[in-house]
Amino acid sequence: MRKMLCAFLYLAVNMVSAQVVDPDLLLVKARMDSIIGFEANLELKLDVEFINMPAKYAVMKYEKGKMIDFDSEDFVMIPRKGLDFTLGELLKYPVITVDRGMEVVNGVSCKMINVIPDDRRADFSIAALLIDTARNRVMQSEITTRKHGTYLMEFKYRSNKDPLPEQIIVNFEIEKIRIPLSYMGKEADVDKERMKAEGPKTGSIILNMSDYQIDYLQ
Amino acid sequence: MIIAIFTTELYKLLKQARTWYALGALLLIEGIVLFAAYYQGTNIIDILLDNLKQNFYFEGDLVNGNLLIYLILNTMWFHLPLILMIVISGMLTSEYKDRTLQTVMLQPVSRAAFITGKFLVAIVFTVFVVIMMALSSFILSYSFFGSGDLIVYLDTLNFFSADDALKRLCLAYAAGTFSMVFFSVASLTIAVIFKEATKTWIVAAFFLIICNLLVKVDLGYAIFDDYFFAKLNDTWQYFFYFDIDWSRIFMNLSLLTVYIILFILAGVFIFKKNDIG
Repeated sequence: MRKMLCAFLYLAVNMVSAQVVDPDLLLVKARMDSIIGFEANLELKLDVEFINMPAKYAVMKYEKGKMIDFDSEDFVMIPRKGLDFTLGELLKYPVITVDRGMEVVNGVSCKMINVIPDDRRADFSIAALLIDTARNRVMQSEITTRKHGTYLMEFKYRSNKDPLPEQIIVNFEIEKIRIPLSYMGKEADVDKERMKAEGPKTGSIILNMSDYQIDYLQ
Repeated sequence: MIIAIFTTELYKLLKQARTWYALGALLLIEGIVLFAAYYQGTNIIDILLDNLKQNFYFEGDLVNGNLLIYLILNTMWFHLPLILMIVISGMLTSEYKDRTLQTVMLQPVSRAAFITGKFLVAIVFTVFVVIMMALSSFILSYSFFGSGDLIVYLDTLNFFSADDALKRLCLAYAAGTFSMVFFSVASLTIAVIFKEATKTWIVAAFFLIICNLLVKVDLGYAIFDDYFFAKLNDTWQYFFYFDIDWSRIFMNLSLLTVYIILFILAGVFIFKKNDIG
């Protein structure tokens, strides 16, 4: 009798834990897992009030199980969040998900899911994903990290069947630069009171991908 | 007449040992500044990018030839005019000291033509030295540290692509040439007034230091900030704002040209009036 009870509890726990991850999220993950690698041209446009940077170009290469590799002749700034196409980083450790209902994003009805890590090693505290369940892809995500603030990402796709986005807009919080006076140039103005009052700024980086070459799992 | 005097004065300048010692010293200082800038550059990049590290990964190296040339540019606008002023004013003070001026003035040479020839040599020599400094800084920096994007902080954090940075650095050297010519011409006018080498050097150095201090002083008077000659000597920095203010640069360089002409006219006038002995 005790063995039966233990077996029942084990099965019950396993069933519950198997159900905590939303099936639509798993479908998106499964679709992304079918991609074993891709290569694309990348254009990065930074939009931060106190930074002037021309558009930068790079070649982006991804192989399953490895970090995305960037190759560029320019100096490029790659956002820490926003390039987790395969959801590998988000679902690296066990998570639980909560269905938050439906929302419309850019005219597309999406399912909103909260993703909460169930492991201390995860680098985020909560994420909100808006998933286009008809096409099994993420339309928007907001990730609150433990150390680096909150990132809001919008994904735009060229066609209905494309698994990978052609544009990602990553919005983030950033503190204004504080430079020692000795490094300042001509007429560099320092208004400490104003800097304190302003607090963190928001910025965004627009990533435009083109000429995808995708390798799928056979 | 002027051409003959110009050629003779240029020959005299190039025959003087101190001219070559000065050029050697400038190249040596540039080499020292270059390697000091390399170590300083890493520190500057760390400070500039500190806030961005939490949001971004970086690909590429910002400590490159373009950053080092920019750092050289920042440091050279004191020692370069100082050495130029010593060499240029020496063109006249040595003539007073050796009494060769009296010999020259016994010839059928007008005082105005003689001193104008010296001013022309001062301008040509200064332009030559700035070009030499620019070429050596580009060759040394690119040979050892390669090219790449340039990062500059002027109110905002500005990134320039390697090609754009090269153009801006060349334009900055060109704009800086106006300032160097101004100081060279001013030193020759000071030599006309004081005649004696030591006094001339002290006054010229004092003039340079005051000008460098006044560049950083903001009195809040538009006339002082926009038109006073000391405030025009960092016009080269305007090329490192993301959007170049061409009208301001044109205005500043035009004003510097006017000041250069005024100093030459003052020098010629005083030299004509002065007693040669």
